[in-house]
Amino acid sequence: MTVTLVQGISIALFALIAGIDFWLEGFYIFRPMIVCTVTGFLLGDLRLGIIAGGLTELAFAGLTPVGGTQPPNPIMAGIMTVVIAHTTGHSPATAIGLSLPFSILMQYIILFFYSIFSVFTKKADEFIAKGEFRKFGMIVLMPTVIVAFAYAIFSFLSVYGAQSLMRTLVNSMPGWLSHGFTIAGGILPAVGFGLLLKSMLKTKYVPYLLLGFTAACFIKFGNLMPVAIIGASLAWIEYGRKQRENKINKQFKDIEKSLQNSGGEDDGI
Amino acid sequence: MMESNKTTRNKLSKKDITKLGLLSLFNQSGMNYQRMQADGWTLAMIPSLKKIYGEDKNGLIDALKANLQFINTNNYAAPLLMGLGASLEENNENRSTIDSLRVALFGPIAGIGDAITWFTILPIVAGITASFAQQGSILGPLVFFIVYFAMFLARIPIAHLGYSAGTHAISKIHENSAIVAHAASVLGCTVIGGLIATYVQIDVVTKIHVTASHTISIQKQFFDNIFPNILPLGYTFFLYWLLKKKNVNPVTLIVLTFLLSILLSWMGIL
Repeated sequence: MTVTLVQGISIALFALIAGIDFWLEGFYIFRPMIVCTVTGFLLGDLRLGIIAGGLTELAFAGLTPVGGTQPPNPIMAGIMTVVIAHTTGHSPATAIGLSLPFSILMQYIILFFYSIFSVFTKKADEFIAKGEFRKFGMIVLMPTVIVAFAYAIFSFLSVYGAQSLMRTLVNSMPGWLSHGFTIAGGILPAVGFGLLLKSMLKTKYVPYLLLGFTAACFIKFGNLMPVAIIGASLAWIEYGRKQRENKINKQFKDIEKSLQNSGGEDDGI
Repeated sequence: MMESNKTTRNKLSKKDITKLGLLSLFNQSGMNYQRMQADGWTLAMIPSLKKIYGEDKNGLIDALKANLQFINTNNYAAPLLMGLGASLEENNENRSTIDSLRVALFGPIAGIGDAITWFTILPIVAGITASFAQQGSILGPLVFFIVYFAMFLARIPIAHLGYSAGTHAISKIHENSAIVAHAASVLGCTVIGGLIATYVQIDVVTKIHVTASHTISIQKQFFDNIFPNILPLGYTFFLYWLLKKKNVNPVTLIVLTFLLSILLSWMGIL
């Protein structure tokens, strides 16, 4: 199926809004779960969008903009996964791999913006010094506006402009290659989880990871709620234990201190 | 000159703090590598500071200049610090006290904010809603949207907390942050364990032909008998090891995963 001009423009408009949202991290409509769903809706295939949303969301679970870093772009990944699946008839799992070049390219565009937006700071300082707050507000919002248009243009070109090229490319793939992409789509969440573990996992947390893993392997339930409840309970237990531990440590230190103090006075006398 | 420092400042109303919480949305509007969120942070602070300083325009400009310094914090922690900042300005605290508190707190508070929002809430919400979404149910994206809309609204009580709690409570939060981060990590790691088992899919399709009529499936009769999902767990740990110990770039790992998948697909193993 093809993407019509109207669909291309409406996806670009949505990318503009989601782009602002990702820039500000406001409502999280920039996450693949929402991006895929909306893109699917705009293409007239809501179900495809939702299914792709679940898949892409997990693949990007660990790719987070923590501490001012930039992950591969979740908006472009979401849009292109749905668009490629829709136009070529491949499964979302295959499409997610093909969407990655777009996602990584957008990541580098944002990184480039982070650098060049430093040029606005000098002007911003001047406006504050002169007390021109309205102008200050405009220059501070300038990066947001530029980013928004970058998303609209980039997504329009990717979705509408490159579609015939994309289709030829994808349809000429041999079976083992598209099957390889499908497999990669299924393994990709491991990268995200690996990244999450990089920032969280310490040796003392490995038992909890194994508990969660084992629970999920053997509790047959439609979603992850049981594991989340087990995790919350463990967290609760640990929170209480640590608080008691801190309290005891503090009391212990106080006693130690008072002993030392009284000892000192005794010596003085 | 000392006199001007002692002029009493205007009080902010509850509505002003609510507005501050909502305006914290703009914290990242002017993001750049030079001073990260500073410009957007200051933009969000302007209405509150304007009211606090009233006629004292020079005081206002000095305060805004002081706010325009490097800051990089978690976006849900920002309203907490903004509320605290507003209460300190209102109480006419020393300029250097206000600034050094902000600088001292934004890092640790960001750490605990990231641990809760990105590393605990997101994997849980993503994991649960994805299971709905993969069956094509609108509940997936709907629940996801509702949770994060509520998270946005939470900026308001967070700003109020920062404003009314004052320095004493914030330092208490700072003290407790290690415990909260610990509890969040316990929850996060448990859920990630579950996510690995549920969503990483590696199935070996190779079969060993023992006799013409009898074949052994490596996946079903070997790996699944050792432990289900042992391959996803192993591969995730392999990636973790590359990320942590070898400092490999995530994009490299994505490419590696693709190359491996395509190679193994070509060989007929996966």
